Amino acid sequence: MVDAVPVIQITLAEDSNKRKKPRGQVVLFGSWCKGCGLCVEFCPTGVLALDENDHPIVIKPENCTGCHWCDTHCPDMAIVVKRLD
Amino acid sequence: MAEHILGAHDLDVDEIQIPREDWFESSDTLQKLRKNKKFPTIWCAGCGIGIVMGSLIRAIDHLGLSNDEVALVSGIGCTSRMPVYMDFNTMHTTHGRALAFATGLKIARPHMQVIAIMGDGDALAIGGNHFIHAARRNIGITSIIVNNAIYGMTGGQYSPTTPVGKQATTAPYGNIEPPFPICELAIASGATYVARSTVYHVLELDKYIQEAIQKDGFSLVEAVSYCHTTYGRLNKFGTAPDMMRGLKKDSISKSAFEKLSPRERAENSKIVRGVLHVDDSREEFSRVCRQLSERVRTGGSQ
Repeated sequence: MVDAVPVIQITLAEDSNKRKKPRGQVVLFGSWCKGCGLCVEFCPTGVLALDENDHPIVIKPENCTGCHWCDTHCPDMAIVVKRLD
Repeated sequence: MAEHILGAHDLDVDEIQIPREDWFESSDTLQKLRKNKKFPTIWCAGCGIGIVMGSLIRAIDHLGLSNDEVALVSGIGCTSRMPVYMDFNTMHTTHGRALAFATGLKIARPHMQVIAIMGDGDALAIGGNHFIHAARRNIGITSIIVNNAIYGMTGGQYSPTTPVGKQATTAPYGNIEPPFPICELAIASGATYVARSTVYHVLELDKYIQEAIQKDGFSLVEAVSYCHTTYGRLNKFGTAPDMMRGLKKDSISKSAFEKLSPRERAENSKIVRGVLHVDDSREEFSRVCRQLSERVRTGGSQ
């Protein structure tokens, strides 16, 4: 996978810059979250992490692809992913 | 505790305050929740029942049903707390009798979408007879069984779906009773639509619940979930994310299952996901019931 990156950058230089933009925005509602850690464990691009109180925080908002894994699997309805254009 | 985006202070952005009322407006799913209820829910952190609740709301929302057209009926147990949080017509009844009450409701209000939400113990142990007879009559109820293989609310007793050899608080040396295959039981009893998925494959679950609601006769969706606080702890399955990974690993789609050799199929211990049975040939019970009453009123014989 690492080897394939330069090829994409050469052929799709402009597009790859566009893709750097986040495609979703993760909004957490802290007072409903119980800190189970499902969203953190399964986020494919590592947008979320647990803080020292075992609550999820958004650490890499630019990585969000808007895949909706976290908001469809949140058992406490404490996450909404807003799709960005 | 102040209501805010947790961790927003760690980013270089202003901390955004979201009032509770505004959070309900932030997605279509959240708008279907009952705003006067106490949140967060009563379930343990990471429990799959909340995921099934989200799936059910998305399915109803996708079908464009209004809140008044849908009736949710439940019994007693962890799963049966689900309708309490949702803004539809709801009935929270006695243990195991969700389908009994739902049968009455469907006959009295045939145009309503009646959905019975049950746990595995509620549906198959205490309400086992109601379950097979609702399927036998083919009454137009959508039943959703959340199967977590244990009685969670009462403290981890073994249920009719606990696998052989697995520990429970009432089976400290391992369960010796063979489990009920829920879907096969429903198919044998005469259900119209039977599907099974897990809470990991939640988008599949959305689709199956939608299809089940659209079906005319008795339809069943088995949502395989987990209980990490009692079942998982006793059997050393780890945390909620560990059990979620287990569901991903130990399940197989129906199409992949059909490609296996007969011997591999016989030895398969994985959860088979998919639409397992569709039979549209049988007449729906509440319609038959209405036809009978029409016939008797107009004085016709036979």
